[in-house]
Amino acid sequence: MRPGWIARALLVISLWHSSLASCEGEQFDEKLTIKSLRDGKVVSKFTFKTLLKGESPRDPRTLGVDDVSQHYTVFPLALGQILREYAVTELHLTLNAGNWNYDRWGYPEEPGVGTGAELWAWMGDGAQSSIDDRWEGLRNALAGLFCASLGSLDEQRTTSPARSFKPEGDLPDWGIPHQIRHASLPSEHVCTENLTPFLKLLPCKSLSGIASLLNPHRLFDADWHGMSVHVLWREDEGVEVRLSFQSVSDPLRLSLNWSFRTLFDRTIDRTCPVAQSSHVEVTLPTFGTYNINPESTSVAKGHANFDVAIAAKPLDINLQWDGDFEYPAGFDSPLTTLSVQRTLRGSSQARGQLSLVLSNHRGEALHVVYLETMPWLIQFYLHTLKIHINGLLRNDAMSEMSYIPAVPHARPATFQCVLAIPPGGTLHLTIDVAKAFLRYTEHPPDAQRGWDLPPAILTPFEPSHNVSLSYPTHKRIYTPALLVDLATPDFSMPYNVIIFTCSLIAFIFGSVFNLLTRKFVVIQIESSKEE
Amino acid sequence: MIVDFHRENPNAARRISFIEFDSLPFVPIPKPLTDVVLPPSSRSGSSPLVGASPSKRASQLMSSPKAGPSQNAAFHLGIAFPSLVIGRLLLELTSLPALVKDNQQLSSALTSYSNLQEGIYLFRNGVDPYSGGSFRHSPLYLSLFATILPVTGAGSSILWTLCDALGAWALVNIWRARQRVLSSQRDTLVTAVYLLNPYIFLPNLAHSTSSFENTLMLFSLMFASQGRVSAALLSFALLVHLSLSSIVILTPLLLLLLLNPISRLASPKPLRSFGVDFKSLIPYVGEFILYISALTLASTSVSGGWAWIPQTWGASLTLPDLTPNTGLWWYFFTEMFDHFRPFFLMVFSVHLVIYIAPICIKFQYDPLYAAFLLIGILGTFKAYPTLSDPGLFLSMIAIFPEIYPYFRHPIVTALLHLHAALLMPLFNHLWLNQGTGNANFYYASTLVFACSNGAALVDCIWAGLRIAIGADNEGYAVAQE
Repeated sequence: MRPGWIARALLVISLWHSSLASCEGEQFDEKLTIKSLRDGKVVSKFTFKTLLKGESPRDPRTLGVDDVSQHYTVFPLALGQILREYAVTELHLTLNAGNWNYDRWGYPEEPGVGTGAELWAWMGDGAQSSIDDRWEGLRNALAGLFCASLGSLDEQRTTSPARSFKPEGDLPDWGIPHQIRHASLPSEHVCTENLTPFLKLLPCKSLSGIASLLNPHRLFDADWHGMSVHVLWREDEGVEVRLSFQSVSDPLRLSLNWSFRTLFDRTIDRTCPVAQSSHVEVTLPTFGTYNINPESTSVAKGHANFDVAIAAKPLDINLQWDGDFEYPAGFDSPLTTLSVQRTLRGSSQARGQLSLVLSNHRGEALHVVYLETMPWLIQFYLHTLKIHINGLLRNDAMSEMSYIPAVPHARPATFQCVLAIPPGGTLHLTIDVAKAFLRYTEHPPDAQRGWDLPPAILTPFEPSHNVSLSYPTHKRIYTPALLVDLATPDFSMPYNVIIFTCSLIAFIFGSVFNLLTRKFVVIQIESSKEE
Repeated sequence: MIVDFHRENPNAARRISFIEFDSLPFVPIPKPLTDVVLPPSSRSGSSPLVGASPSKRASQLMSSPKAGPSQNAAFHLGIAFPSLVIGRLLLELTSLPALVKDNQQLSSALTSYSNLQEGIYLFRNGVDPYSGGSFRHSPLYLSLFATILPVTGAGSSILWTLCDALGAWALVNIWRARQRVLSSQRDTLVTAVYLLNPYIFLPNLAHSTSSFENTLMLFSLMFASQGRVSAALLSFALLVHLSLSSIVILTPLLLLLLLNPISRLASPKPLRSFGVDFKSLIPYVGEFILYISALTLASTSVSGGWAWIPQTWGASLTLPDLTPNTGLWWYFFTEMFDHFRPFFLMVFSVHLVIYIAPICIKFQYDPLYAAFLLIGILGTFKAYPTLSDPGLFLSMIAIFPEIYPYFRHPIVTALLHLHAALLMPLFNHLWLNQGTGNANFYYASTLVFACSNGAALVDCIWAGLRIAIGADNEGYAVAQE
């Protein structure tokens, strides 16, 4: 009995110790921010942050040897294994639906709001397997994890735009270069099947805490919604995994006032026990008169803060407008300093023109990095690039152009340049493009629908910076995705075409050889002989 | 007409029961030398045709006794040729080129002016144009247009017009060399047939680089006809460098260097009876390989690597760009099953080559005619044709007037060409711009175009062989064995 008792005691002690140790090494925070927009819509953003303290990403040079074993308590193991397997230093995956309206909604809190799926990762070089191999493995693994068609983000979609996608965290100083891989798939549709694996990565799933508000019926009904996974490393903190869900819902459709009930059709009934902090932050509207219930824990800098841990359950925060909702004066004026419009013009299925209109709403000149990652379906004619500022031809407004031409069936084009827009001016950029003719097997099943082209990305500079030294901010602006109508062959008749062409060639070949191989003879016609 | 013919030519054979080519009477011809001034009286009065039975119509097409060669030359050089070229130049300087620049019948992926401009733009901005997929022009174009040649504006209009003017001049010189005259009344007609042929004229307006290829083709044939070996081989090496499939013409070109361009269609005879020495071909082939290697090395040093080879030569073998054109390849390989693609690419490439030997053997006594027929094959079957490829074949018919009476179905061929020429732009527009037609419309019109090219080819082969029998006779019919 005695040895058994000691063994059991030791086991309990070791378990307690290990759980204590892991709780020390890991930290989970959750937060919900809700903000009323000027047009009455409500933007809500869920953030679930897990921190592995003191950990660092895997050095790609150790990929050949066995990895250290991974024991996590709240850190998502499924994601952690993928990160270790492919030695990913920084990773950003976003799955969005809808177009973010910058002019009305301002900059989003999570900058990655491009339509469809977007994945970008920073990886160290120097492993036995190349970065491209690991990138392929990474996207396939994430495709499996999130039930999304990320496997289609193949080399035909992959680019390396290091300038517009600076690492958000730090890159370890291993003495090896780090490289970025970026790919986007605007035709990817986000749905419940992507949310379920997303919730599985949370320690409390959607059972308690803020995550219990993630009700797919309401989230996917929103005007704009998107989920994102961010993995980054900070030298002084460790590896951080940030899962977030943003949505723009329209309570005006139901009633003017909003509450957890009307937005999510749920309330917070329990706190998540492993969460170190669990907050709801409501940005107080700067217009109209309203009431917020229940009483907030604290109010600071125009934000009402609710601590879910101490708030009375069930927590159902609601905002009531006094009287009718009134649009604030000038609610239609753009909230951002830059308005972007991007269109593909021309009705021909062989040629077209890409047009970009940038309007600077500020009293100062604005510099933006303009990035196009265009699949080879659209081929740029850069020699036709023209820039008009307020109607005058000003090709000198473009500088620091870099261009990697597309390779058919293999690589997209990467076009990047810096555009300078004068104060209050409008810049109009046009490029002639050629549309590709595809093999019939390359067309998707609904070929007549056309192809979605990834959004262009504009990164404004801080204008005080020197242009050549300045560092683009994280405020990326994604244009809406474009749809291109490519010429389609007739899908029903490959055999007919093969038969027709081969018959014609055989016919001409036969006629030619008939003439070349047979002799000419003169024949006396019988009738004339008789005469 | 046949009765008229026999009234005028009492010595012509009236009864030929059976003729083999070997047994046809052959008239020995003196070695032609274009630099020898032939007395006007001996040339202008008599028909320059040699052989069994020159037709009346053919002899009417020759220079008439009334106008002397000096007058012909004066008229041709002083009035006709400049006015044709100036007319073309004036059209070039209008807004027409911008209108037809991207027309898919006028320029292919390999010859497109837009792609050329794009490549030069990239080259000037420090981007390797061969690292991308769209630029498929030779590095020689790149270096010339990036440095000395104008690529935009009036300069390029003048350049392209000059290119066609030189082509017309070369065609006239081939005609003169074939007829062994210094000038003839037909010169103006030959020039006009080249400069006013819409199949040649429109691609030139679109600034397609196929105009340069046509001119080089005519230059190599002209030099070969004039017996200038090095010049012929150099211009042909340039041509092969710019368009790989033109290598098909190499064999007749070498034969032309051994022989001469004089028409022997009416008196076929085996090549061995001319006493040609095939061993003398070895230095020619060596010289050609030398030129090609020099051009390849020059291109490699200009573009800074070998990446241009798969982009330019490789494109005509692997067909990476499926943009519609007038040929047979694009839709076939659009609709081809992926696992059969390499096989059929091989078949289509080899198919171009299999015509060389039979045509060169059959027309061994007239290599210029063999080259002409192979140009027709190229225009019908090559990978990235434009209208100027069949256009060259059709314009070259002008220098073979002796075959006109023997065409098999000239009306049908002409109507087929008219039909295709009207349908192709119409159906292309309906499919890609209007959206009321689909790909099959345009594909069908390219099939008609291939039929018309095939019909023209068959007509010319038929006429080239049939001429040896002579004119039709009452009570007798010519048939194939």
